[in-house]
Amino acid sequence: MNGALLVQTAIDGLILGGIFSISAVGFSLVFGVLGIVNLAHGMFVLLGAYAALVLKHQFGIDPFFSLLPSFIVLFLIGLLLETSLLSGAVRRGSLMTTLLITFGASLILKDLVVLLIGPDIHTLDSTWTLPTVHVGSVVIDGNRATGLIASLVLLAVLSIVLAKFKIGRAIRATAQETFAASLCGVDSRRIYALTFAVSAGFAGASGVIVGIINPFSPTDDAFWTLNAFVTVVLGGIGNPLGSLVGGLLLGQISTFSSQYVGSVFPNIFMFCALLLMLIWRPHGLLGSSFRGSV
Amino acid sequence: MGRSITRRSVLRTAGLATAVPLFNISRGKAADKVIHFGGSLGMSGRYGETGLNVRMGYEAAIKFFNEALGGAEIGGKKYQLELGIIDDASDPGRATTLIQRQLDDGIDFFLGSYGSNIVLPSAAITEQAGKVTVQVGGSADQIFTQGFKRTFGFFPRATRAWDTSVSFFKALSPKPATISIVATNDAFSKGNAEGAARVCKENGFEVLDIIQLPATVTDASSALATIRSRSPDILITTTVDQNSLVIARQMISTDTNVKLLYQFLGPQLPLFRQTFGPKATGIVGQLYWDEGLKVTDPFFGTTKNYIEFYNAHFSRPISYHTVGASACITTYVKAMQKAGSLNPDAVRDALASTDLETVFGRVKFSPEGDGDAIVMGAKIGQVQGGAFEIVSPADSKTADVIYPTRKWSDKI
Amino acid sequence: MKNPFHRPLSAFWLASSAIALIVAVILPAVLLPFHLRVLQQIFLFGGMAIAWGFLGGFTTYWSFGHTAFIGLGAFSSALFEQWLGPAIAPELRLACGLLIAVVITFAVAILIALPILKLRGVYFAIGMLAFAEILGEASRNFDIFQGAIGVSLPAVSLPGVSSVSLFYWLFLMLFVVNSLIFIALRRSRIGMGLICIGQDEDTANMLGVPAERHKRIAFVLSACMISIGGVLYAHSLGFITTGSVFRVEHSLDMIVFNMLGGIGTVIGPALGTAIMVFVTQIVLGRLLDYHLMLTGVILIAIVSLAPAGLIGLVESRYRRRRSTQIGTAL
Repeated sequence: MNGALLVQTAIDGLILGGIFSISAVGFSLVFGVLGIVNLAHGMFVLLGAYAALVLKHQFGIDPFFSLLPSFIVLFLIGLLLETSLLSGAVRRGSLMTTLLITFGASLILKDLVVLLIGPDIHTLDSTWTLPTVHVGSVVIDGNRATGLIASLVLLAVLSIVLAKFKIGRAIRATAQETFAASLCGVDSRRIYALTFAVSAGFAGASGVIVGIINPFSPTDDAFWTLNAFVTVVLGGIGNPLGSLVGGLLLGQISTFSSQYVGSVFPNIFMFCALLLMLIWRPHGLLGSSFRGSV
Repeated sequence: MGRSITRRSVLRTAGLATAVPLFNISRGKAADKVIHFGGSLGMSGRYGETGLNVRMGYEAAIKFFNEALGGAEIGGKKYQLELGIIDDASDPGRATTLIQRQLDDGIDFFLGSYGSNIVLPSAAITEQAGKVTVQVGGSADQIFTQGFKRTFGFFPRATRAWDTSVSFFKALSPKPATISIVATNDAFSKGNAEGAARVCKENGFEVLDIIQLPATVTDASSALATIRSRSPDILITTTVDQNSLVIARQMISTDTNVKLLYQFLGPQLPLFRQTFGPKATGIVGQLYWDEGLKVTDPFFGTTKNYIEFYNAHFSRPISYHTVGASACITTYVKAMQKAGSLNPDAVRDALASTDLETVFGRVKFSPEGDGDAIVMGAKIGQVQGGAFEIVSPADSKTADVIYPTRKWSDKI
Repeated sequence: MKNPFHRPLSAFWLASSAIALIVAVILPAVLLPFHLRVLQQIFLFGGMAIAWGFLGGFTTYWSFGHTAFIGLGAFSSALFEQWLGPAIAPELRLACGLLIAVVITFAVAILIALPILKLRGVYFAIGMLAFAEILGEASRNFDIFQGAIGVSLPAVSLPGVSSVSLFYWLFLMLFVVNSLIFIALRRSRIGMGLICIGQDEDTANMLGVPAERHKRIAFVLSACMISIGGVLYAHSLGFITTGSVFRVEHSLDMIVFNMLGGIGTVIGPALGTAIMVFVTQIVLGRLLDYHLMLTGVILIAIVSLAPAGLIGLVESRYRRRRSTQIGTAL
């Protein structure tokens, strides 16, 4: 019996971790390239879910097909936010200013959602989720497994863009050596705006997945922002692979502590892991070559 | 950039603009022919949804009194009612400061928030100032064990809220033997879990596990793995609706089946039932109010009358919190009429002796101020065919209970 | 350039501070309880913002988790006083509670200071956030701390004094004490060392500044003063749960108040606190639906228009030399 429970816990952790990974990747990119901590990240994730909700209620579109529209909507919002409010602070390199501006933005966005849509809990149901599978006495949650697969696909897409495409190389160059990159003809201001927008877009797309898996309400944003923090510190900043590793690790910590220590404890273990990793290896497991590393 | 708009001038005008409200704060005592109700609600935090439902209830009742009845008649005079709710944002510091402002403005009658960490400090202030609070939210035990004499609540305290449920369990056949409880780490949920566990044990049921989850549930997989391995007959979740939703959803997608799923808060809401469709059939919850209840409110009249009035003016669907909130106003006005005055002490005494049928059902308070455990105890409802039918107690039931309930996979 | 550390205290400032203090002390006689409560919030949270500045105002160690100490102080005193039992007078219990809170906070702060002060910049900030969350979760998850259910605190009173006025004076006292400590720190060797650390820690180390020790002293001092604030705050509420005292908003507020007013000063955080409390509770207090949004707008506006804080704005206007400002180094 014990062996089966172990496997069950590990699988639950993997699946949960997939969701953590995808929801953190945008945060990681922004931290690595622009060097700012985006406190509005959680709201971007939720806005993606709400966008899918609106599309579902107004046009009957299945959430899975809202992935791209959510990405686009959040891309535009992110672009708007960065160019209007953040660009000056980013250029000055002022961390605390960007922190406060993104916090203020999160308040505004949250209130807007509450006013326009309401504080109620909503769910997204998709007919494209996999069915639940039983392997022996181990149950694999179909809903969440679908989320894991979607996360992996999205992460792969981002990795490919960063590695193979010109825009990806420009982003990585700006992150590593801004001045040198600009000497090579990269317009850093444009890259900052683009990166922030892409990050917001991915956050939005991940929000659709999050919304399919769990019911959501406007006050969940703190959870997703904090989650992104922990995932990024654990796995490493900037690199989508770091986001994946960090997220999966976080998922395992969550389910194992919940099963074997006590079901109230996942949060405390999560933060202990964060603190320990910061003290031991601040740039994370895959401590990448991005500027974010100390 | 000309001299017109500079950074400095913006700041200067902003400074002047904000100085104005400072002198606008207290307009002195409430005007003669108006009764002001004060209080706070958590509108922008985790309880925002419930807060909005409650607020709608207050607004509906006040609108009814002012427009349909032309005011409340107390001691021979007609009074308009006015609502002054503030958003406490689940921050006790904010709640206490803003309620103090209402006290300074001369408000005598308060409606309450929920969450014991808000209600307790707020009640302490209103109590000390000699004012009255009637609240339709907080039911944690501590609120009613502080020795407050002027604070009333519409629900029995958490540890007393389970008597009717256990009678319901006892009447099921084949008789269930084992019960497990899932609770979240906050005063309301924990208090209820302890109350439920105690009452169940006293009545011969075996309580297998009490599983605690974090206050906001995002993943219940480990709890559900335990449930699957222990197979209780009944699973009780003393959770608020968002958490109940998460747990139920995960139960479905992990194929965790029990003979009866009892979710304290959740199935009452139409949104909850809609989300699960046919899979919701069989889920049981506490029922405080139902459209079909045959009650007559001294002001609203029949339930049908109330619903028609509400729907004519508000678009948000009615929940039992809404009705409870409206009944709160009914109770207040009736007490004022009984006292024949607006003196807080007299109204307080009248409230303590309330025994009244309202649109929410019968209202009676225990000596400590919470809802009387028998009179205001919950009925048990079960989702059947998309509706929430009353299945217990026998004299109010609208449908027979389905027990044991079918497996998730069998419900299409 | 005149050395700011040996500059004699200006008579103007001394006199005006003394007058302000006297006025503040007698205000309870004239103001409404609501105004007093607003001032309570300003003195309490302003005082704590100043205490946050013991470390953050001079160096670039900007802690994102000082609510940990509010909660630590609140719960230590609450649980200890509960253990003492109702037989002992509330005022005595409060005194014991304060003592215990400081002792426990001192111990915890020293323990966490060793590893966490090794982190720099944003990592320090996040590390402190994690620390605060850990303490908060612990208070909630372990039944012995009663964070989920809540703890009651004894009602403290003085004969003839309303509780609002009592806590007003207590918070005022805390505010004054913190301000004095800040000024003393700034004029001391440690303060000088901290400013050097803030400008360039490695160079400071090379020049022989005992950086680790200075940082630790500032950190622990900051923690203990904030913990005292937590004890008093808890008593003013009368009943606390985890959610009352372990709040991310408190940590954020301390930073916001400093940034708005001007980091590295005494008047800065006081001014920042006054403005934000005024805006959120008085101006926006009655707005049920929009207050969050407007708070965000105002926050963004102030941060964008006055990035060096209001003090920075005033200084640049009068072209005073920037003596101890670190500026936007992070």
